[in-house]
Amino acid sequence: MPECLKPMKRQHLKILVCVKQVPDIEAIAHSDDPGTWAKISESTGFRMNRYDEYAVEEAILLKEANPGTIVDILSVGPQRANQTIRRALGMGADNGIHIRTADDEYLSPFLIASWIAAAVRSRDYDLILAGVMSEDGMHGQVGPMTAEFLGIPCATSVVASRISRDCASFQVTREIEDGLKDLLLLHFPAVLSIQSSTNKPRYPALSKILRAKSLELEVIDFDTFDVRTSPERLTEVGFPQKTRSGEILQGSQGEKAAELLRILSRKIPIR
Amino acid sequence: MEHIVVIAEHLSGRIRPVTWELIAFARELKRLRNAPLSVLIPGEDISAPAEEISARTGCRVLAINTPGLQSYNSEAYKEILAAQLRETGATHVCIANSTQGLDFSPGLAIRLKGACITGVEKVTEKDGRLCFLRKIYNGKMTHTIVSDVGVTLLTVEPGVFKASEDEIADCHPVEYKNVSWHSDRVRNLGVEKSEAGIDSALNEADIIVAAGRGIGKEENLELIRKFASLFPRAAVAGSRPICDLGWLEYGRQVGITGATVTPKVYIACGISGATQHLTGMRGSGFIVAINTDPNTALFNDADLCIVEDLTTFIPAVIGEYKKEKQDE
Ligand SMILES: Cc1cc2nc3c(=O)[nH]c(=O)nc-3n(C[C@H](O)[C@H](O)[C@H](O)COP(=O)(O)OP(=O)(O)OC[C@H]3O[C@@H](n4cnc5c(N)ncnc54)[C@H](O)[C@@H]3O)c2cc1C
Repeated sequence: MPECLKPMKRQHLKILVCVKQVPDIEAIAHSDDPGTWAKISESTGFRMNRYDEYAVEEAILLKEANPGTIVDILSVGPQRANQTIRRALGMGADNGIHIRTADDEYLSPFLIASWIAAAVRSRDYDLILAGVMSEDGMHGQVGPMTAEFLGIPCATSVVASRISRDCASFQVTREIEDGLKDLLLLHFPAVLSIQSSTNKPRYPALSKILRAKSLELEVIDFDTFDVRTSPERLTEVGFPQKTRSGEILQGSQGEKAAELLRILSRKIPIR
Repeated sequence: MEHIVVIAEHLSGRIRPVTWELIAFARELKRLRNAPLSVLIPGEDISAPAEEISARTGCRVLAINTPGLQSYNSEAYKEILAAQLRETGATHVCIANSTQGLDFSPGLAIRLKGACITGVEKVTEKDGRLCFLRKIYNGKMTHTIVSDVGVTLLTVEPGVFKASEDEIADCHPVEYKNVSWHSDRVRNLGVEKSEAGIDSALNEADIIVAAGRGIGKEENLELIRKFASLFPRAAVAGSRPICDLGWLEYGRQVGITGATVTPKVYIACGISGATQHLTGMRGSGFIVAINTDPNTALFNDADLCIVEDLTTFIPAVIGEYKKEKQDE
């Protein structure tokens, strides 16, 4: 174990996990009217961003390894986002904070990060975790921007983290390209953005779900924050251009199966 | 006055190939804006990569020699680049949308009071402003973003812009400068190889049958294997979630954090076509996508699209194959 950089202020860790509620991507259909941010229909389901599930799991693992650790959950989103906070509580987190926004407006990562930073600045977290990116916006910026707003270091694409028994040192593994891993020693407090890994996010336990249902969340209204504009602006939403012919096979399932084999047999040998 | 800057990406003394793509992208910006372009490369012992970039591209290169910065460190990058980009008067900064670029760019943008636009796949000009296109919803839709401030950091999606062939307009000698840096907030302990290397079967195969989250359960991998076994030189691969679940080894993962494959035929079964997956297989000869969602992203990048439930369609293909064998 490497030497300690700076001992923690206290015996127990205080961790915040930032989670986002995202729509079911499969349920989003092509509309004739692109141009606005995500027209989400009534029937679209919502769930926790998958990378955030890994972040919650990482926090719960740290809590299990370091008894006494507190894990809080924060989400920026409309009213319905409280379901996602409660799911994280069901996974084993302690308290929920909801920065409540207007319905389904587009929020830039800059705004989200500045609000998170403003809300938690005085709360003294040792560690702030976020997913490596959200599956809807795919920016990958909220974690590292929050760190910068708070003036603390950050590591992204983290697949493993380990705190020594005495809570003195803290080692993280970042997954990088070409099958390589970047090992770092971090200074508390810090922000980590968590990449999916073999740590399978747990299902909420029934007893915890019941507790989560009755737990009061702390609600902060977004208009209590001063920052309202971003350095960049979304001007258009559309659909990707085709890069290949994209021929769609027609017919019954059997006809499509036969046609596929015919097409493949012209390309490569078949046994 | 605008100034376009490329941040070269390098690892263990080697330039990462995405750097050439960044230069191609930056040249597109240069054509649109008629602004000067320069390349920055921070690190220790970087004269060889700096000279290589200069020789291959003819770009102005500034090598920021930083003793002690043997490998990438986010604190060092943010500090050194913030100072240099201010000094250069950079307006557009082109960075790889890699795990490295995404690690330092958002923070650097805040430090520079700039904008950060990640995953850029296209640039256009409209009413005199640059518009940047990026994908959202796992690649199903796109965003167009404009910057309202003087400095814009752009992380450019790897594999989208073709590295331009040596296009040496005029030659500039590499400029060198030394900076010192020290911080204890993030300390590098080294770069390690993962246990699992990329499975060589993926490079040798004529056809790859790949499983995505759409296979639903591990047992359905058997369908994928049976499908692959119809072909003599076939391999089975998976998207990242399938490997995270432990259903396939990481050596079989296709994508930006896995293998880049170029078989004659690639059949994606229950894979949505997120950019990170696409990067690993877009060079395949012929791409077939099987998906229940008629709007899935991969249908934009496939030659053949099949809207079917793979759990019934693959058995139908195998049944059809057996029928034809009998008829022979
Ligand atoms: C830094 C980073 C690196 C990454 N690197 C990689 C990488 O190297 N490789 C990689 O693959 N991903 C990578 N990802 C993840 C990537 O962004 C996507 O999340 C991932 O590729 C999605 O995998 P999928 O298509 O299998 O799953 P999903 O996106 O969940 O798609 C499942 C698809 O299956 C379809 N489907 C469902 N049921 C059926 C059925 N019965 N029959 C047919 N179709 C069905 C659905 O319509 C859907 O389109 C990376 C992400 C990050 C942030």
